[in-house]
Amino acid sequence: MAGIDFGLIVTGQAGQGLQVIAQALAGVFVRSGYHVFVSQDVMSRIRGGHNFTRVRIATKPVGADADRAQMLVALDAKLASLHLSELADDGLVLIDPDDGSRPETGHEIVAVPLRRLAREHGREVMTNSVALGAALALLQHDPEALRRPIQELFAGKGQAVADENLACARAGFDFVCAEGRTCRERIPRIAEDAGRLFLTGAQALGLGAIAAGVRLVAGYPMSPATPIFEFCARNAAEAGIAVELVEDEIAAINMALGAAFAGARAMTCTAGGGFCLMNEGLSLAGMTETPVVIMVGMRPGPATGLATRTAQADLLFCLSAGHGEFPRAVLAPADPEQAFHATIRAFRIAEEFQTPVIVLFDQFMADATRTIGNLQLPIANLQSAERQSLPEGAYRRYEASESGVSPFLRPGTKGQLVYVDSDEHNEEGHITESAEVRVRMVEKRARKAGGIAVMLEPPEVWPGPGRKTMVVGFGSTRGAVLEAVERLRGKGLDVGVLHICDIWPFPIDSVRAALEDSRRVITVENNWSGQVARLLRQEAGITAAGSVRRFDGRQFAVAEVAAGIERLAEGKTG
Amino acid sequence: MLTAEYWSRAGENAWCPGCGNFGILSALKQALAELQLEPWRVCIVSGIGQAGKLPHYVKCNFLHGLHGRALPTAIGVKLANPGLKVIAVGGDGDMYGEGGGALLHAFRRNPEIACFVHNNGVYGLTKGQASPTSAAGFRTRATPEGTALPGFNPLAAGIAMSGTFVARGFAGDREGLTRLMVLALKHKGFGFIDILQPCVTYNKVNTHKWYQERVFDIGTRQHDPLDIERALERAREWPEADPEGRIPLGLFYSAQRPSYDEQLPVLRQGAPVEARPDPRKVEQAIEEFRQHGRD
Amino acid sequence: MKPQEFNSTDPIAWCPGCGNFGIREAVKLALSELGIAPWQTCFVSGIGQAPKLPHYITCNLFNGLHGRTLPVAIGAKLANPELVVIAEGGDGDGYAEGANHFLAALRRNADITYLVHDNQIYGLTKGQTSPTSEMGMVTRSTPWGVIMPAFNAPALAIALDAGFVARGFAGNVPHLAGLIQQAIRHPGFALVDILQPCVSFNKVNTAKWYRHRVYELGKDEPHDPTDRRRAFFKAREWGDRIPIGVLYRSERRPYDIARATHGTTPLAAREPDPAVITRLTERFR
Repeated sequence: MAGIDFGLIVTGQAGQGLQVIAQALAGVFVRSGYHVFVSQDVMSRIRGGHNFTRVRIATKPVGADADRAQMLVALDAKLASLHLSELADDGLVLIDPDDGSRPETGHEIVAVPLRRLAREHGREVMTNSVALGAALALLQHDPEALRRPIQELFAGKGQAVADENLACARAGFDFVCAEGRTCRERIPRIAEDAGRLFLTGAQALGLGAIAAGVRLVAGYPMSPATPIFEFCARNAAEAGIAVELVEDEIAAINMALGAAFAGARAMTCTAGGGFCLMNEGLSLAGMTETPVVIMVGMRPGPATGLATRTAQADLLFCLSAGHGEFPRAVLAPADPEQAFHATIRAFRIAEEFQTPVIVLFDQFMADATRTIGNLQLPIANLQSAERQSLPEGAYRRYEASESGVSPFLRPGTKGQLVYVDSDEHNEEGHITESAEVRVRMVEKRARKAGGIAVMLEPPEVWPGPGRKTMVVGFGSTRGAVLEAVERLRGKGLDVGVLHICDIWPFPIDSVRAALEDSRRVITVENNWSGQVARLLRQEAGITAAGSVRRFDGRQFAVAEVAAGIERLAEGKTG
Repeated sequence: MLTAEYWSRAGENAWCPGCGNFGILSALKQALAELQLEPWRVCIVSGIGQAGKLPHYVKCNFLHGLHGRALPTAIGVKLANPGLKVIAVGGDGDMYGEGGGALLHAFRRNPEIACFVHNNGVYGLTKGQASPTSAAGFRTRATPEGTALPGFNPLAAGIAMSGTFVARGFAGDREGLTRLMVLALKHKGFGFIDILQPCVTYNKVNTHKWYQERVFDIGTRQHDPLDIERALERAREWPEADPEGRIPLGLFYSAQRPSYDEQLPVLRQGAPVEARPDPRKVEQAIEEFRQHGRD
Repeated sequence: MKPQEFNSTDPIAWCPGCGNFGIREAVKLALSELGIAPWQTCFVSGIGQAPKLPHYITCNLFNGLHGRTLPVAIGAKLANPELVVIAEGGDGDGYAEGANHFLAALRRNADITYLVHDNQIYGLTKGQTSPTSEMGMVTRSTPWGVIMPAFNAPALAIALDAGFVARGFAGNVPHLAGLIQQAIRHPGFALVDILQPCVSFNKVNTAKWYRHRVYELGKDEPHDPTDRRRAFFKAREWGDRIPIGVLYRSERRPYDIARATHGTTPLAAREPDPAVITRLTERFR
């Protein structure tokens, strides 16, 4: 059977429930044995405007949107015209003919009276469920598959509501069947239960934190980090964690540090702007050598920017944030699977080296839902860097050591005292201004970076056949880059990929080894100034020939990445 | 004479149908019209949230800034150009959460600006988390077990912080709200109004009807806004302990003390935006550092 | 334990005659009378001269950022409720930089004690106006005199129905020690605003100035701390007469730490449960 790679777009105004259609359809096909990738485009508002979701259904793992869609479902027909250029020539447009508008297009239009059927079988607000059923019918899939996703999505609103939505979906399905309309492509069930996990990056980050043993999460609402906080809140009772909604971001980082000082694993999550406010707190973590994990979600800035969109423009900021010099780690997972494992790694590094660790992600990674394989739960519990035995004399919090790490003790340990200070301090933890002690402390803290580096996962390398061109990126561009490169190789282009997750301390040796033989290095990144290119030059002395950049607040399309690489690889000025 | 409609700015509105913000917007335009101000003289400084979008819908100057930082910014605008009528606008998360500290100090400082807070008891733009004014027990995705903290009382805080104009209005009471706004805009000091409003999408507890059933005007109860202790007691009336309790609206407290602006000596020399550097003064300042060899 | 046993070896960096010495004595006295051992304490302080106090007694300490004492203290208490958590700072620390956290702490009512060393000036940075400087005071940052009324933290706390609000004076150590004891014993957020002279930079509110004015509520004058109206009035009394003592007590329940942490084992002592993680992960299958 030839492979299936089907793209679908659902568009409507905020408040029309298009997420429901997308999630339900995705649920149907995930359970039917497919790999599914769903990305959302959402405006910074609650009603109105223009939102859309892309759903990609495939027989192989996919990590980016389909270049072309084969079906467009427009809950608001006026919005359909915004997506026609993305629709394949033989793609279908599903609209409600009573919508008062009809897109001018050569594409085949499937008119389904969504609102009328919704009113007849439920309520007008269930228009989206009618569309869901209609879409499934066009794909010639078993209507029974609707039952479970709809039940899961609406059970919270009462069984009656769930039943009505199912009736509406069925009505949409039956209408299309009766008309005999179908999509050119049929997407049947191919596996009984592939048992894949289907989740967003935000959920994976939350799961990773819980798996790592987080005990306190402090945060303030800010897109795209809010879903992580809410995930932890939802599971707080079951997982036994304190989840604190605080007055501002500065309270969040400081509360996390207070909890960590007292011996509980702690984290906070925010976006770039909120992280700006946390900078002094980050510096405090470095100086006091208190472990903390800070999840920073990138979105287009500066300032408020595009609040619900994506970017990769805070990389250099995160690497150098917080005044003063102190070691840190920065991990930038590409997808939910990497997010889960990177988060566990982050807590491990933070605790073992008593240092802040940033898990850097972006809105695209946080909100896209995809199927992944299994998540490997940590084999052993995180070893706390806690002293296994009490010191002989008085405990000294900042006792010198070869590694730079001093044994940790929780305050409240009988008979011992812990002194922690944000001023420069001596080994006891008391304030000092001595030049000599200062030098020793700076060097002690700096020494930890060596140990941190050893804990990092090396970057992933897919060398090209002849090492002619190497494409470098980090974080969420991985899916689009890999697919683009595969396409280019199919055309005979000699191109390879270096993709970085654990990005700080910068893996200079691995990067040099991967790139030393290539004639041309190109970066792919979601920012204007080419931060990865600047980082390569700064840390590894490697000059990129150019960068494929996108900075309009949206994620890369595969075709766009491929075209960009092709242009730069062949030496045309990009 | 300019009407309220004159103050409208054409363009698409991003609020949900039925949002309390529409009532507040309407009252503001009416108040601006009644004061016979001119748009070019008015500057709204807002924060981030659905409320923060208000100045986009009013014909005047505006600075739509950072979450929680409208007040310091507004104070800066007014100090630089005292000729402007400056209004700070934001939601309850903005003004009482992120910006709570700034609000406390604004009451003390008493700058000549108005401050209108859209208080809907929830974080709307980020889709429904508990805010500082959410009542204890309010269930949201961020507080699934119900918030464990009591709601913040901005009026009590304002009175305790020596505020000179502490009032509460309601988005559903256009007339009363307009009246309060006119008073706040005329007030020679920090004119603060906490404006109760429903959030039709995310707050299913404090709905328009819920407020309508409870609000009443303290002006009808012979309230003396100069009596600070009575004002504090009134300010504390809220249906937290008693769900059937009533919610007072109106001017709770009004004090006479000079504004920050009228006491600041440098402002007596004129508006900073009009000032020009005086080379002689600069030279004088430099001369003070000159060291002479002989006396 | 005797108060002397709380002395630490760190040389004290305060000016001779500083009000902080009296506060230090009162803290040691209070801890020893309550029978709290140093290892059971957790002092969290900010930046200023006042926040150095924890270094000068034997205790666990986290001397963090200017203005950020309260969030750290609350985090520590959530992580290990068995600790006796005392947040400590100056008036700039507490009411300027830390104003927003002070406001939130009044709502949250976590079981911590907050001691504010209120000397109405910024001492460590050498003499700028603080939020509690009086109207008209001339300082390096307001040579034309302060033109805003002082930040009245006790009044704010009472208006927002805090559980325990007191004002003390560094020059009356036994009385202050008594207030600190009560504050520590209070289940919930307890504020003690402590008037103290700054011998180097505040030439107005000197020790003598305070001594002429302070009087003890409950001793020099009867006072019912449960009467909020009276308490609010007393909190705003300033000038020729300044009341010290417990201004206000209310029946607020402390922040439900047990619910926040879901159980009795302190967060700091828990290990992750693989069964829980497996269960949560399976929901995405």
